[in-house]
Order: sequence, then structure tokens, then C-alpha cells
Amino acid sequence: MTQIIVNSLIAASIYTLVGIGFSLIYNTGRFFHFAHAATFTLGAYFIYTFNLLLHIPLILSAIFSILGCGILGMIMDKTIFSTLRNRGASALIMLLASLGLYVVLQNSISVIYGDHIKSIRVGEITEGIPILGARITEIQSITVMTSILILMVIRLILKKTNIGISLRAVANNPILAQISGIDSNKVILFSFFAGSAFAGLAGILVSMDIDMTPSMGMAPFMMAVVAVIIGGISSISGIALGAIFLAFVQNLGILFVSSQWQDAIAFGMLIIFLIIRPQGFLGRRI
Amino acid sequence: MEYLLHIIILIGIYIILSSSLNLIAGYTGLISIAHASFYAIGAYVVALMALKFNTPLILNVPSAILFAAIIGFIIGTPSLRIHGDYFVIVTFAFQILTFTVLKNWISLTRGALGLPGIPQPKLLGFEISSLTSFLALTAALCALTLLILYRITHSPYGRILEAIREDEVFSQSIGKNVSRYKISVFVLGAGLASIGGSLYAYYISFIDPSSFTVMESIFIISIVIIGGAGRFAGPILGAIVLVMLPELLRFLGLPASIAANVRQILYGALLVAFMIWRPQGFIGKYTFNN
Repeated sequence: MTQIIVNSLIAASIYTLVGIGFSLIYNTGRFFHFAHAATFTLGAYFIYTFNLLLHIPLILSAIFSILGCGILGMIMDKTIFSTLRNRGASALIMLLASLGLYVVLQNSISVIYGDHIKSIRVGEITEGIPILGARITEIQSITVMTSILILMVIRLILKKTNIGISLRAVANNPILAQISGIDSNKVILFSFFAGSAFAGLAGILVSMDIDMTPSMGMAPFMMAVVAVIIGGISSISGIALGAIFLAFVQNLGILFVSSQWQDAIAFGMLIIFLIIRPQGFLGRRI
Repeated sequence: MEYLLHIIILIGIYIILSSSLNLIAGYTGLISIAHASFYAIGAYVVALMALKFNTPLILNVPSAILFAAIIGFIIGTPSLRIHGDYFVIVTFAFQILTFTVLKNWISLTRGALGLPGIPQPKLLGFEISSLTSFLALTAALCALTLLILYRITHSPYGRILEAIREDEVFSQSIGKNVSRYKISVFVLGAGLASIGGSLYAYYISFIDPSSFTVMESIFIISIVIIGGAGRFAGPILGAIVLVMLPELLRFLGLPASIAANVRQILYGALLVAFMIWRPQGFIGKYTFNN
């Protein structure tokens, strides 16, 4: 039982990290950013490049990779999405463009690095640290702590800083925000930077735990989106709650059905929530 | 010559897939990234029936259509209550789910090993084994699908679909049961897509889950959008262009290992470019702006 709780927390941490990034971009840019899944994968391949190919120390490589993903997010916004926004494109058009971008990025990774599994795991595979009868590896505990830290930092940023307040203003009412002198393009650019950086961070953490392939981003992205919808897309604490709920139900489900049906469990929850409570646990009505 | 026939058969299969999606996405405005699921259902139903019971084509293809339509109904009924972007997410999730089921239900689908040796079909006493006979079969099924779609889209029913796409609330207010139209159109599209899957299974005689990924679904919706959503000839044009275009890359001498990826990069980039400069595609009517 403790192992189930520990496993759920690890999964929930990843869903939360990806989900926060996704919802930052959704709430300001107002579209479903599918290429977020590719940003996640790129985080893993960036750290592989920096650490294993260029021999930069691990911590420094991680920082470079996170920043790299953030900057990539900004480039995506500058080149594609701000152009679309200025033309008054609908959310559906932006979604489709993001879908195309996702195809381009994932296949570019395949062309450059090949489709086979790559690993940046350092040292021997260990049994993990025992906690109350459950086992957790070092990188898994770092994953959980990082996501709790990010959650607290992002809450603080949104509540206390200027950029956080303008971000909430744009999310709440873009036109009113613009009238009050907030440059919404800048705010959206910032949320692309932060959101993509979080996705990259999650990708790094997953790749250090279970290796990487070019299509690794799709499943965690989908789960994060489900967690965001369950928790409420407009609420940061809701996302964490949704992530924990989803991860826990999935891990409990393994007790009854085999583990390959985790996707089916998530899909069922997505449908149920979209029908009975589309705003999620803590979100506003959508 | 054989190569050319092969390309034409592929185009035929993609015309069936994209035209059936055009009914859902182009005419009714419901963007679905789950079409490769129904493609897969068609292929697997036909393959399993032919392999396990050795049943003829004339029975297998209608069974596949029926089965895909039932799945379409089961999936469509709850998800079509959801609008716009959220519907896209649900179809995306369903596509991922289909892929995991195909990959993990080993006892039925043999998972990643796939189903080899699908027997060649017989129709009216003729054995369909040569490329030319497959071309004839493709042409016949393609023509049948297009005829059905033409009749649907050029009927009062088809006009209501377009009305729903343009203004859902208005269509409801003139007394049309919008959700019933949406579900029926989703079921129809799913059933017709399975014909493409049947053809593929018979033609290649080997299927595995890797042919029915999210990427495949995105490819099919790209054909619809780039060709022109909401117009009958749109996906036909799109299928010809998007299937032929990567074949030109062959002459650039790209190594086979990356050819598939370069093909996908190409249509992904095309999708982005069209969204920026020409969201209605080459000849489309629907611009995704409502």
C-alpha cells in the first residue's frame, strides 16, 4: 500500500510539472498547446546532448536544458503563435498549428538521434531507499521534491510579483488587461518560456529515471492534460490535486486490472469529468 | 509501373480515409484526431476474421464497417457532448487508447508482432492477388465510399451538417436535434473509414499497431485540412498531393531509415504553414474560425 502511494506521488509530480506548464500557456495564449509534448521530450534530449555528448557537468547540463526548452517555447510563440494571434486566428487553428509543430519536432528528434532508446542514467541501478516499506530511488525523490518546490514557487510568483499579477490579469480578461496597460504579448511570451521550461524539467527527470525515446512525451502529456481537466484548468492547486487523484486511481487500478490499462482508466476519467464537471475540482466554469 | 500502381492504391486508401473524415471534420466541423483508430478497427476486424475463420471478403468488410460504427457510437455518444478544443483532446486520448489496446491485447492482436499472412481475398469467384486486381478492388471500394459520401453531403441531411458547423445554436433553434446529427455523422464516418482499413489489411497482408499511431491520425486530418475541409474534392486533392509529395523525396536519395520521419516533418510543416497562410486549405470552405 505504501508503495502505491509512493508510486502515485512520483507520477503525480510529473503530471503536475507538465500540467502547470500546459495550463500557463492555455490560460494566457488560450489554446491547447500539443507541441508541449515535444518540448518535454526535447528536455531529455538536450540533457543527453549536453551531458553525454559535450561532457558538461550534470547540474549545469540540466540548467542549460531547462533554459533551452524555455527559449524554444519563446521561439515557438514568436514565430508561429503570435503571428496567428495577430491575425485573430481561432483557438482551433492554433491547436492545429501546434499539432503540426509537434509532428515536426518529434520527427526531427528521430532524424537527429534515431528511434532507439537512449540513457543518461549515471551509476549502477540501485534498489532505492526504503521508506515505510516502500522503495523510492534517488531521482524519484528528487522528482517529487522538485515538483512540490515548483508548485510553491509558481504560486508565489502568481500572487506576489508583477509578472504574476499581469499573467493572472491576461488569463482573466485579456481585453481589460490590455486596456490597463499590460502588454499581453509579453505576458504570453513569458508563459511560453516558463511553461516550456517546466515541461523540459519534467522531461529531464523522467529520462533520468526511465530513459528516453523520441515519442516519450506523448503519454505524460496526455496524462497531464487529463489531470489539468480533472483539477480545473484555471487553478494551480487544482492541477496538483487532479494529478494526485489521477495517479492514485491509476495505481489503485493496477490492483484489479493489469498495468497496460492505465491509459484506459485515464481516458474514462477524462470523459466522466468532461461530462459531469467540465470545470474540474477547483476551476471556474468553462 | 508496379511502383506507380502501388502509389495509386495507397492514394485510393487515403481518399477513403480522408473523405470519411471530411464528413466529420469538414462538413460538421468536428475536428477528430481519432480517425486512425477506425482505420485500425477495419484492418484488425478483417484480418482476424480472415485468419481465424477464413471468411470471405463479402462478409468481412461489412462486419468491419458495422464494428467500427458501433465503436464510433460508443465513443461518440459521450464525447460529442463536449465542444471544440475539448472534443479534440478526447479524440486524441481515444487514439492513444486504441494504440495501447492493439499493442497490449496480445492474445487477440499479437501485440507489436502484428498479424502476418492475411489471405488474399476472393470476390465473385476472382482471386484478387495481382496489383492490377487490387487496383480494381481499391477503385471499386473508393468509388462506393465516394458515392455514399456524395449522396450524404448533397442531401438535406448534409446541408444541416453544414448549418451545425456554421452556427450550432441557430441549428438547434430551428428544431434540429444537433447532438443526434453529430453522433450519426461520427458513426457514418467511422464506418466508412474502416473500409480503408480493410483494403489496407488485404493489400499489405500484414498489419501491426505501428501503422495506426497518433501520427497517422494527424496525417489523415492534415490531408483533409490541406486539401480543403468541407468540400467534396478537397480530401481527394489532399490525398493525391500528400501521398505523392513524399515519393518525390525518394529521388533525392534519402536513406530509408529517415525517409518516414522526413515525410512526417514535411506534412507537419505543411500543416503549420497552411494554418498561418491558408487555413481553408487548397480549395476548402471551412476556415476553423468559429
